[in-house]
Amino acid sequence: MGLEIKFIERELHPIMYIIVPLGAFSLAFLCGGVLMSWAGVNPISGYEAFISGAIGSPVKFADTLVRTTSFLLMGVGLAFALRARVFNIGAEGQYIMGAIVGTWVALLLQENLPPSITIIASLTMAMIIGGLWAGFAGYLKATLGINEVVLTVIMNWLAFKLLQWLLRGPLKNPLSEMWPMSPPIQAKIPVIISGTRLHLGFILAVLIAIGGYFLMFKTNYGFKLRVAGMNPDAAKYAGYDVRKIIISSMILSGSLAGLAGAIEVLAVYHFLYEGISIGLGYTSIIVALVGKLHPLAIIPSALMFGALYNGVVYLQSALGVSYTLSKAMEGMIYLFVLISEVFLKYKIRIIRR
Amino acid sequence: MEKPIVSMRNIVKRFPGVVANDHIDLDVFKGEVLALLGENGAGKTTLMNILYGLYRADKGEIYIDGKNVYFKSPKDAIAHGIGMVHQQFMLIDELSVVENIMLGLKEYGLVLDLKEAVKKINKLAREMGFKIDPWQKVWQLSAGEKQRVEILKAIFRNVKVLILDEPTSVLTPQETRELFKIIKKLIANNIAVIFISHKLHEVMEIADKIVVLRKGKVVGKLSREQATPQLLAKLMVGREVFLEITKRPKKPGHVVLEVKNLKALSDKGVLALKGISFKVRAGEIAGIAGVAGNGQKELAEVIYGLRKPLEGKIYLFGKDVTHKDIYERIRIGISLIPENRLGLGIVGEFSVAENLILERIDEQPFSLNIPLLSRLNIKKINDQMLLKYSRELIEKFSIVTPSPFAKAKTLSGGNIQRLILARELGRKPGFIIAEEPTAGLDVSATEYVRKLLLEMREQGYSILLISGDLSEVLSLSDKVMVMYEGEIVGAFRPEKVSLDDVGLMMTGVKRMPREVIEKIWD
Ligand SMILES: Nc1ncnc2c1ncn2[C@@H]1O[C@H](COP(=O)(O)OP(=O)(O)OP(=O)(O)O)[C@@H](O)[C@H]1O
Ligand SMILES: [Mg+2]
Repeated sequence: MGLEIKFIERELHPIMYIIVPLGAFSLAFLCGGVLMSWAGVNPISGYEAFISGAIGSPVKFADTLVRTTSFLLMGVGLAFALRARVFNIGAEGQYIMGAIVGTWVALLLQENLPPSITIIASLTMAMIIGGLWAGFAGYLKATLGINEVVLTVIMNWLAFKLLQWLLRGPLKNPLSEMWPMSPPIQAKIPVIISGTRLHLGFILAVLIAIGGYFLMFKTNYGFKLRVAGMNPDAAKYAGYDVRKIIISSMILSGSLAGLAGAIEVLAVYHFLYEGISIGLGYTSIIVALVGKLHPLAIIPSALMFGALYNGVVYLQSALGVSYTLSKAMEGMIYLFVLISEVFLKYKIRIIRR
Repeated sequence: MEKPIVSMRNIVKRFPGVVANDHIDLDVFKGEVLALLGENGAGKTTLMNILYGLYRADKGEIYIDGKNVYFKSPKDAIAHGIGMVHQQFMLIDELSVVENIMLGLKEYGLVLDLKEAVKKINKLAREMGFKIDPWQKVWQLSAGEKQRVEILKAIFRNVKVLILDEPTSVLTPQETRELFKIIKKLIANNIAVIFISHKLHEVMEIADKIVVLRKGKVVGKLSREQATPQLLAKLMVGREVFLEITKRPKKPGHVVLEVKNLKALSDKGVLALKGISFKVRAGEIAGIAGVAGNGQKELAEVIYGLRKPLEGKIYLFGKDVTHKDIYERIRIGISLIPENRLGLGIVGEFSVAENLILERIDEQPFSLNIPLLSRLNIKKINDQMLLKYSRELIEKFSIVTPSPFAKAKTLSGGNIQRLILARELGRKPGFIIAEEPTAGLDVSATEYVRKLLLEMREQGYSILLISGDLSEVLSLSDKVMVMYEGEIVGAFRPEKVSLDDVGLMMTGVKRMPREVIEKIWD
């Protein structure tokens, strides 16, 4: 006699889409508080540190916006794939590929070309590579029906292995003995408020989110993409090329993730290293979902997760909370939000045979 | 005098732009069939949804067994013995029959014991006089079987009042007869049945009492003895309706569609088309008669391009389209009015206006070029044009909707069909496949669609009509083919055939010689 869990789709009042995630956040913070006091940290001062880390000063807020930038770019891209019902788990790998190629192109060109051209070339190539990397997975799904979730997860691992290898070989900085990292990049994306790290990439990301909104809701392409995701049979019936939609949504999604990776290198770190992405691509999936796959709603969602991310980092450094504990708290928030998403969408029943 | 089991008093329900129920009173008695009649959008489903607890009335009361009740959700209604089988089935395709029946049963909680349930289901089905395999997945069932599952589901919950919302619009005549037997068993068990249908002869056959709604108001309450089809039609529509149609003789033109030796598999992987060949000419309605499930659906899908043929050729306006995709076929001039309206025909979350240009979104003037991006076929949607065009179609096809922006899924069943008709005929395709075009439409809309099809025939369009309604096929078509088990077993001019012969062909008893069929194909 086996047990089986079934998910049944349901519809809820729109207000629930705001209440439930907020509830999930509150619950997560409550549990986080318990976790902190258990670890011997006063939860009140913990959360004070958390808030001040996220938005406590102009510089910190600027840092939050820097983090927002990558979430926003990847979140908007993912919105397209997810709306087309392609479950792209591969933003992480596409981001890494973008960072690698962006770095490489910048290193090649910066000697002989002005920074502006180097930057543009580097970002463009990063987008192309990210797009191809994701588009390949989309192509295999559309033509051979290969499961995109498995495929993109494998490709994430592949991208990370490639990064590790390159940093110890072709992209190695000969001067750095201890850490595997690339040589420094001189072509830097300009900062827009001096004294902070807030760079032009943030403006670009917001513009792209607005453009994404236009593409998704005001063009024939977005129209067809949404039909294909909501009712694939109707899309076929109406004569849409559903394969093309699947592939192009992946290309779009991957190119924005690739762009985010290159921007991170050229604007924030100015070199490539192994920790360039520590799960940002995975978090972006949650960013996109909380933003209800709407490019404009993803702006506040990315901001919220940017603040969360930096708050946790600061909590760790300010109060000496262990890395594991702070990561556990972050993970818990994601978990609560994701679970609440599932409950929003589905009724769950256990069935015994 | 006996007291009603259900009384609805003064029910009012407003939706943005419409009063769906306007002070309605309704009494239902035990062991009786009450038929609810009315045009598309008259408010029948809304009233029943209120009784079933899906919607809350803006005003009015419901009494069950004389007690005033207040339903917050279907759970409350079910607890009071109200059951409902919706116009669109609410079953979950991937689950088995027993799982579907058990789901949502509160007393069974989170963990279900299916073996026990299966025993009970088999016993109930035996009592009702039909067979069903509780372990079968719902997607494998025919429409009639799905309906039985829905009915079982209601009986399982001990209904006292069972609402059937247009149960026969998806059934073959045989299945309808089976359903009527079940209904008779139900009323013999003192259950009250509320029966909604647009088919007047069905209402005359099964109903004890008839209530007619028009534009949200009750406009007539009669017993079966008082009713005639003409009277009912007049009450519903508010004017005389001509249930007979006249077709002028017409000489067919050049060949528009030709299929040669088509073979194709069904979803279940069996050969559903076993070598079909025929021609349809301009200005001609070619009807396909047959019991549903004999390959008609697959034939329509293959011609339209939704299903790949194993073998054979399809020519549309002289072009070989066998390997062309739907996009190209649409541009050559084909359209399909699908039987599966909610699944294929509309995108429920999209507005009426958006649904009306589903296939034309790439075309000028609905999309405008953007510099550079147009090369990638990315264009800006022209909202004004979209609105203008959709307003025209809404007007021309009398689609009842509060506005072009309303979500398509909020339309009444018949108006969803009008939406699809408006879209498919509005773009003036040369060749039209009409699958069950009048199922679920009220008398005047049915009259309207039949006239429209004849008008299109007059104008030289060519139509392949697939319908389980034999009288519809015979009255509209210039030539009729009968399909049985994936083959054409008979072909004739409708005026030159006896109904008995058609019946024998539809059940596979009689078969016409090949040469005779081939002569009519042409
Ligand atoms: N959820 C809803 N939101 C907005 N309007 C609705 C909704 N449900 C029904 N309506 C409107 O209420 C009116 C009555 O609809 P209803 O579905 O009750 O008609 P009906 O009599 O069942 O018609 P049909 O024979 O076509 O099924 C229609 O104008 C419909 O558009
Ligand atoms: Mg209805």
